[in-house]
Amino acid sequence: MFLRFVAAAVRFRRRRLLLAFSALSVAATLATALFSVYSDIERKMRVEFRGYGANMIVAPMGEARTLPLSAVARAEALGVTAAPFLYTVGSLRGEPVVVAGVDFRRAAPLIGYWHAPAPGTGECLAGTAAAEHFHLTPGAKAELDSGPCVVRAILSTGGSEDAQIVVPFTGNAASVIQVRADGERLAEIRAALAKVLPEGDVRLLHAVAETEANVVLKVRSSLYLLTALILAITTLCVSSNFSALVIERSREIGVLKAIGAAERKIAALFLSESLLLGAGSALAGYAAGLVVAWWIGRRIFPDSASAVGVDFGVFLPVAGVTLAVAAGATLAAAARIWSIKPAVILRGE
Amino acid sequence: MFVRFVSQSIRRSPRRKAMTVAAVAMGSAVATAMLGVMLDIGDRVNRELRSLGANLMVTPKGRALPVEIGGISYRPVTRDDFIPESALPKIKTTFWHLNIIGVAPVLRAEARIGDRVVPVDGRRIDVPADGHQCIVGSSLARRLHAHAGTELTLFGERFTVAKVLETGGEEEDCVQVRLDVLQRLTHREGQVDAVEVSALTKPEDAFAAKDPAKMTPAEYDRWYCTPYVSSIAHQIEEALPMTVARPVRRVADNEGKVLDKIRGLMLLISAAALASAGLTVWSVMATTVLERRAEIAIMQATGAANRVVAALFTAEVALEGAVGGLIGALAGTQLARWVGESVFQARTESPALLVPLTVLVAVAIAIAGAAQPLRRSLALEPAVTLRGDA
Repeated sequence: MFLRFVAAAVRFRRRRLLLAFSALSVAATLATALFSVYSDIERKMRVEFRGYGANMIVAPMGEARTLPLSAVARAEALGVTAAPFLYTVGSLRGEPVVVAGVDFRRAAPLIGYWHAPAPGTGECLAGTAAAEHFHLTPGAKAELDSGPCVVRAILSTGGSEDAQIVVPFTGNAASVIQVRADGERLAEIRAALAKVLPEGDVRLLHAVAETEANVVLKVRSSLYLLTALILAITTLCVSSNFSALVIERSREIGVLKAIGAAERKIAALFLSESLLLGAGSALAGYAAGLVVAWWIGRRIFPDSASAVGVDFGVFLPVAGVTLAVAAGATLAAAARIWSIKPAVILRGE
Repeated sequence: MFVRFVSQSIRRSPRRKAMTVAAVAMGSAVATAMLGVMLDIGDRVNRELRSLGANLMVTPKGRALPVEIGGISYRPVTRDDFIPESALPKIKTTFWHLNIIGVAPVLRAEARIGDRVVPVDGRRIDVPADGHQCIVGSSLARRLHAHAGTELTLFGERFTVAKVLETGGEEEDCVQVRLDVLQRLTHREGQVDAVEVSALTKPEDAFAAKDPAKMTPAEYDRWYCTPYVSSIAHQIEEALPMTVARPVRRVADNEGKVLDKIRGLMLLISAAALASAGLTVWSVMATTVLERRAEIAIMQATGAANRVVAALFTAEVALEGAVGGLIGALAGTQLARWVGESVFQARTESPALLVPLTVLVAVAIAIAGAAQPLRRSLALEPAVTLRGDA
């Protein structure tokens, strides 16, 4: 009987309910998309900051000039990206020049901004200022005292590399080890590194680390505020729609009361109708929201390795919010059921 | 008559009207707040990213190739080329001078402390007036056993360590003194070796990657009038012909990438929020018309032409859209400002155009939302509607 009432109510007021349903679905879609993006944004932003390269460097401690190469392996054991760099003063045509030995295989994630191919054995990169000074062009031979190399490409970074000749790393010592660690656990990793590398001075690159932390925090908190704002306003809007569902049916309530239905029973009727609608909206909105989140992830972070921004964990909060809105709005309006006098309503006053 | 109808309708059911207007206002508030934040966030994050350091390095043209490792020069110092300090204000006369938010001249020298050669940078640092204070990098300080308050002798003059600086970068291995003091001590008055420039730039896109020398005049103008890091570098070279200005790729490249992501993200979220705000307004308007089908039928039954009924309802809906849109837009502007203040500690000024634009869009969506149910109701026989069969 109860079920038949609810089913019939839905059937007879299809269009009206469809509107309420779509409004709530839109809210659920938005909630899903925003929750998904928000839950993932920190990790995504931190990935973007990897392009800045190292956020720590390990320099020789005290008077030493180099670090043993074994330090790189010890650092890597902590799960960080670490690459050795060796700087020596070589000579080219009788003039001194800084020769940088770079382990391109390890350093690739740290020097993405070089936009230069990795030189093979017998090849090198010439910094733009060095190339200009020595009149080197790609393909030319640079007669370094440590052995000639063919210039693979010209390097322009705006940094100290511009005045250097970069060759593939050889040897078993490093002038400096550049390290990129997960921005979230930086302090912890720094302490761990200092412990396993007692011969090195582990320095945090404050500018990189702090800017990353700052920007990630600010983007996250603006997203947080906007999410809260959008959801609050959307829910308010939708709940007025649901309240109207009850209010506009005063006549029906009057009839039900006139034939002897208890107020609680009528309220339960309306509530189950709204909850049914809410559950449907939550499901539809959740599905649509995942698509929106997926699309946003695809568009903004196309090279992200993980499943782009889709977080299945957001279903519970979304369903919770949706059902709460439907139930809350209905119950708030259901207070009217008690005050409605059948005779007055049915007379049309 | 027409005006009376509309005002009567509002007067007779103020509560329902208020609810409709509130719904429109909420939708508009979301839209305006979102747009306000979106239009502003790129700029704000750009400023945050500037704390990474200079994105342009200006050096004298034809300077001898530096042979330096960790700030120590491995070549006898022959400082023939320099940038005159008096020319620096010219950087602020370039086309994009408003985007240049920092100019830091540096003079480099080396001093002996005991048997050690120590790099000394002259910068415009903030130390007390007599200038005999210095800042020591923390790594160097450890080697020298220096701390705040220690006295160091540089170039035969005594300096007090004002503070020990920890940055992780090359500054950790050198001593910084005031630029004018170092100029005097090294007899290089009015000279600097490099200028670090920090500028707000537009991320480089495919267009910026083109070689300016091969651009058509129109393309060149567009490139010149866009604050790409390369075009700002070009303009600095024009203003200071004796220099080479190079983008610091590590900073400049990644800045663009990060900014693009944040802008894109906000754009898409705004799009989603705008779409939902639009749908909300749409559905509210459709609901109000749906609820008033009986009224429409009575008007028709008493002989009102469809055109008149449609005009009446459209006027009412437009009025509700305008009022709701205006309230929402003003509230949204405030909300955007609040987000800006609480996240970036800076006022967000939404463009003034945003308010009238929001009102217009709200009116348009309200009318569009009401149109379909209105047309349906008008098409029905009044008798059918009034009997309650529809």
